[in-house]
Amino acid sequence: MKIKAKLKKDVTEVKLLLSSPMIGREEAATKKVAESYITHVTAKVGGKVVWEASTGPFLSKDPYFMFNFKGAKEGDELVIDTIDEKGATETDKVVIK
Amino acid sequence: MKRRKFLSLGAVAAAASVLPASLSATDFRATAPKAWEAPTSKEAIEALFGTSATVEGDIEIKAPKLAENGGAVPIGIVSKLELTTIALFQDANPRSAVVVFELGEGGVVDLQTKIKMRKTANVTIVAKGKDGKLYSAMQKVEVSIGGCGG
Repeated sequence: MKIKAKLKKDVTEVKLLLSSPMIGREEAATKKVAESYITHVTAKVGGKVVWEASTGPFLSKDPYFMFNFKGAKEGDELVIDTIDEKGATETDKVVIK
Repeated sequence: MKRRKFLSLGAVAAAASVLPASLSATDFRATAPKAWEAPTSKEAIEALFGTSATVEGDIEIKAPKLAENGGAVPIGIVSKLELTTIALFQDANPRSAVVVFELGEGGVVDLQTKIKMRKTANVTIVAKGKDGKLYSAMQKVEVSIGGCGG
């Protein structure tokens, strides 16, 4: 995944690009491939959840998200966790600039 | 030993996705499974929020009127309301629910994502405010080439 987190005044803007084919039931049947999509994404700063998303296969391939939140400062670490429909998790982090 | 026990508990929680997994505070796939199977926006909204009675307006959907690529239609959601749960639905795919956002305490309602749409349809946002009210907004998006899949 790719994460960018930038502080603008008191608002942190995050741009997040995940890596997943986001193949749902119908697409898997048509293309004769396995289903594979992310089901949940969490963003945390200092152990506190600042944003999260419950997701399904109708998000575009390699899902993109932009979100904003207040309360973080420069140098804080933003941690992103994802889980897919098989229960496989991924985690990554970035320092807020 | 304590650490080992803790780790194994974590693994169990992650494997059983019906439980709110350790990494997700609010997993709407676990708490409202029916909402993700509903074919229409109305049914999905009812399954997720318990009602489809909403107050219209005060939420801006930033979507193209004509999307050239149905595989990745950019959708922006902007509002000055204090919202906690923001759900995105569309009637272009076999099932309606696309994504449900949950904002933390310092959340600012300025979100963007990209969705699949295999035909021209309405995109609906339903959001729960800190005041407990349900707000909604709808916009039609024309799709010239359908998104792959579905």
